[in-house]
Amino acid sequence: DAPDVLPANAEDRKAAQAMSSLDAKPDEDAAPKKEMDMKALNDAMKNLGAAQEPKASATAGSKKEEAPKKLVKVDQADVTLLAEHLDMSKPKATELLRAHDADAVKAMTAWVTAAV
Amino acid sequence: MAQNSQVLPGKEATLFRHLVQNYETKQYKKGLKAAEQILRKHPNHGDTQAMKALILSNLGKSDEAFELCKLALKNAMKSHVCWHVYGLLYRQQKNYEEAIKAYRFALRLDPDSQQIQRDLALLQVQMRDYAGYVQSRRQMLQAKPGFRQNWTALAIGLHLSGDLAGAEDVLQKYEESMKHTPSRSDMEHAEAVLYKNSIIAEAGDVQRALEHLDGIYKTALDRTAVMEMKADYLLRLDRRAEAEKMYTKLLKRNPEHRAHYAGLEKALDLDRSTKEDQEKLGQAYHSWAEQSDRIDAARRIPLDFKEGDAFRQHADKYLRRMIKKGIPSTFANLKQLYSDSAKKETIRELVEGYLEEEPQANGGAEQSKPDGQTNGSTKAQIKPPKLDPVTTWQLGVNYFLAQHYDYHLSRDLTKAEKYIEKTISINPAKSDYTYHLTRARILKHRGSISEASQAMNEAREMDLKDRYINTKCAKYQLRNDQNTDAVNTMGLFTRKEAVGGPLGDLLDMQCVWYITEDGESYLRQGKLSLALKRFKAVYDIFETWQEDQFDFHTFSLRKGMVRAYIDMVRWEDRLQEHPFFTRAALSAIRIYLLLHDNPELAKGGGSANGESAEGAAERKKAAKKAKREAEKAEAEKKAKAAAKSQPSKGGEEAETKKEDQDPQGLEAFKLAAEKPLDEAMKYLQPLLELSPKNADAQVAGFEVYIRRKKYLPALRCLLATRALAPEHPKLKEQDDRLKSALDNVSEPLPDKVKQVIDETYLSKLGSKTSAGEGRSDT
Amino acid sequence: MDIRQLRPSDIPHVQQTNITNLPENYFCKYYLYHALSWPQLSYVAVDVSRPKKTPYDAPKIVGYVLAKMEEDPADGIPHGHITSLSVMRTHRRLGLAEKLMRQSQRAMFETYSAKYVSLHVRVSNVAALALYRDTLGFKQGGVEEKYYADGEDAYSMRMELDYLRNEALDQESDDESTAG
Repeated sequence: DAPDVLPANAEDRKAAQAMSSLDAKPDEDAAPKKEMDMKALNDAMKNLGAAQEPKASATAGSKKEEAPKKLVKVDQADVTLLAEHLDMSKPKATELLRAHDADAVKAMTAWVTAAV
Repeated sequence: MAQNSQVLPGKEATLFRHLVQNYETKQYKKGLKAAEQILRKHPNHGDTQAMKALILSNLGKSDEAFELCKLALKNAMKSHVCWHVYGLLYRQQKNYEEAIKAYRFALRLDPDSQQIQRDLALLQVQMRDYAGYVQSRRQMLQAKPGFRQNWTALAIGLHLSGDLAGAEDVLQKYEESMKHTPSRSDMEHAEAVLYKNSIIAEAGDVQRALEHLDGIYKTALDRTAVMEMKADYLLRLDRRAEAEKMYTKLLKRNPEHRAHYAGLEKALDLDRSTKEDQEKLGQAYHSWAEQSDRIDAARRIPLDFKEGDAFRQHADKYLRRMIKKGIPSTFANLKQLYSDSAKKETIRELVEGYLEEEPQANGGAEQSKPDGQTNGSTKAQIKPPKLDPVTTWQLGVNYFLAQHYDYHLSRDLTKAEKYIEKTISINPAKSDYTYHLTRARILKHRGSISEASQAMNEAREMDLKDRYINTKCAKYQLRNDQNTDAVNTMGLFTRKEAVGGPLGDLLDMQCVWYITEDGESYLRQGKLSLALKRFKAVYDIFETWQEDQFDFHTFSLRKGMVRAYIDMVRWEDRLQEHPFFTRAALSAIRIYLLLHDNPELAKGGGSANGESAEGAAERKKAAKKAKREAEKAEAEKKAKAAAKSQPSKGGEEAETKKEDQDPQGLEAFKLAAEKPLDEAMKYLQPLLELSPKNADAQVAGFEVYIRRKKYLPALRCLLATRALAPEHPKLKEQDDRLKSALDNVSEPLPDKVKQVIDETYLSKLGSKTSAGEGRSDT
Repeated sequence: MDIRQLRPSDIPHVQQTNITNLPENYFCKYYLYHALSWPQLSYVAVDVSRPKKTPYDAPKIVGYVLAKMEEDPADGIPHGHITSLSVMRTHRRLGLAEKLMRQSQRAMFETYSAKYVSLHVRVSNVAALALYRDTLGFKQGGVEEKYYADGEDAYSMRMELDYLRNEALDQESDDESTAG
């Protein structure tokens, strides 16, 4: 990511240097800050893990695959039809169908008329 | 871990550790040597092969690297190093999906590797796989809970994935584990606390956000931010008196920030549309303007809402003040008002009236009576213009009128020319090209493109050290299709050492406007391959900008500036919405359509109407010259580099830049001709996704989809255009073409598709046109 | 004109303003580096009087100041540095450069406790020299030879920021009175 041409002057050299160290790794050997209560921190983390997991999956859109939408069963033939005629990927077609009660005509109508 | 045959004896093991270090410090040549030394004794050592591959790929030998890494994997299927490197190689090629797969595999083999976990997390956030990112960051936090960065990163992941409560909770938990408050100068802490506050507000709990903000208000380091946040919260909570105080304070700090005035107006609960409130607002702005002679906003804003006589009086005052000061952007600052034709007329009358005034009768701008007829009080000018007040005034009035009559909403080019000639005749400054620039613009609007270019060049010659006029000149040369002149003009200010001459520098420096104008010029000339090459270059610049965020995923955690990072992520998500992209993309799509409709074009070297012999000769000459220049620059650069002891900052990766093998874009053009519509989709998709309200994008979308026989998407674009721009010149024609295409489908459409088309389109045509018959073909 | 903090989404137009006006240019990533390291310090002047052409029009930047804190200052004193400042020729005489600089300087002082701000200027750039020295109160320091890529020398200039301490005190007494 450093510039290709070697900078010829002080200003550019400084810039190049800054840019080349952007992706430096975090300094992980440094000790944690002294104001931290390590025991409290560890406890907090454990709580976090316990409290977070179910919460996270309950939040809309936070889990990628099993989106917590009501699971509507869709007909694979409809998925193929939408993918082909709306020029979209199958996952997107599935999503669109689900959002319209698995009704292909309803889904396509909504898509066609909702561009703006 | 690795298989037995894969275990190195002591000496080589040490060497291997050096090799890894060499890679990490970007000492690639040393690393290569070490790798080869190991491989001489242990030719099938997978990890060493993998490390060597990694270095090779960093030296630009990516094919060789992949070969070697595959070999390494064969030798050490179960080595996490090999899989990790495999992922890194994919990452370098920007094939992020494959890279993620490889990292995941590596992580399965070595679940405790922080490095692999980190690399995986980086790709996940880059790909906006927030669920995956959150999971990775949770792992990393569990491994090292002592680092605030790990907590912040998890909060960021939750925040971006929409789990605001979760994000706040993580930040909160960390804070609660503090034994005492960090020092006041702890930037990371100060920022994390503000970040938490912004999350509370984003979740809509403004009351709690305000309470929290009050707790950190005094110690916050980013004063502007806390003040703005507080003002905003107070306003949203309808605590108007306090909000007013806050905005007043903010305006004291920055009296040119429009958002502060807007906040103040709301806090005062004044309505711009009622006469009574207009007066109150006028007074409020007046008292702001009184604070300092240097404030523009408080003087300019009232013109937006005042009407009738009040407008006339205020405009008179404003115009006199600006003209007297000799401010060249006065017209630019007012032209927005021209959409209101009454205001436009008032301004014209006022300024034309100034022409009639005695030259010295223009004083007392601020304290003048409403009708502006106060006489003679020409106070000595405080600030520059060395010009005498009379000349300044006459210059200003004539210049304003020239721009007025040049503007498309009030255009009368004969008058514009008259006034600009007058302005130029009284301008005593030999190097002030301002008025000459406007003269060139008027010529352009006249349609005299070539004269305009010439005029702009004359303006340029008035001040050879000024890049602004140089830039304008190059732009006008491009409009006049003087591509070679333009690049030479630009070359007066580009870096001399740049590879590929001026154009190379402009590409390096991501000078999007130039590349786009150059492309549009070639498109006008029918030099399609060159045009396409330029638009592709713009596309690539946007890819680079997208890629640019990568390093900041780590960097921003280290710096702790989380709010700015979130801003960046959200901007990058919509990057291609930028008009710079849209403009280049629409032109590129046009070329792909031409190419699809007439594949013969690819043979003619992209020249639409067959290039003249003269043109071909010129092109060859230009290509030769460009090559010579590139070679020269290359030689100079090498000499320079040799003369200097190389500072080690960039390691050895700064390999010489490859020369452009296809400067005319002919090879790429032939390739594009094989599947032009697929190529067009690469430009079209971002347009339709990010700029759906751009009618031209929808029109272009129709053109691509109808050719691909994708009737529903074509219909979608058509309906969108109809809604956005019912008067669009292409609409009628596209309508007819869609009807005709639907009447003549080669294979019958599935019933469900037919039904949709009938219901949303065909059934509604009856009343408007006679559907299905009397269509005008092709 | 609207004067406000630079946001990442402003960068394409800031970059365009820079390459239109000045010979020292940078790629997007270098602007990002500033915006993401010291987001408080860089400011833009936006032409808000432009009629919009599409809903996606980006704010038109007519001036900007790109600023940073010096990392590892040689003298050990925290201080800011102006990487680049320019205003479109069409928008001169509005005092934009000064207004941009003042905002940036205050943020350096408030957020990063900067003691002074430094910058370089081409020895031939008379207009910029006058702005820094006469309007803003910078002091001219030494000459840095061949500072620029084309071999031109630079003056290094600096300005103490202690004047902001008094302003800050005013501010605080204001705060007291509103709180009380």
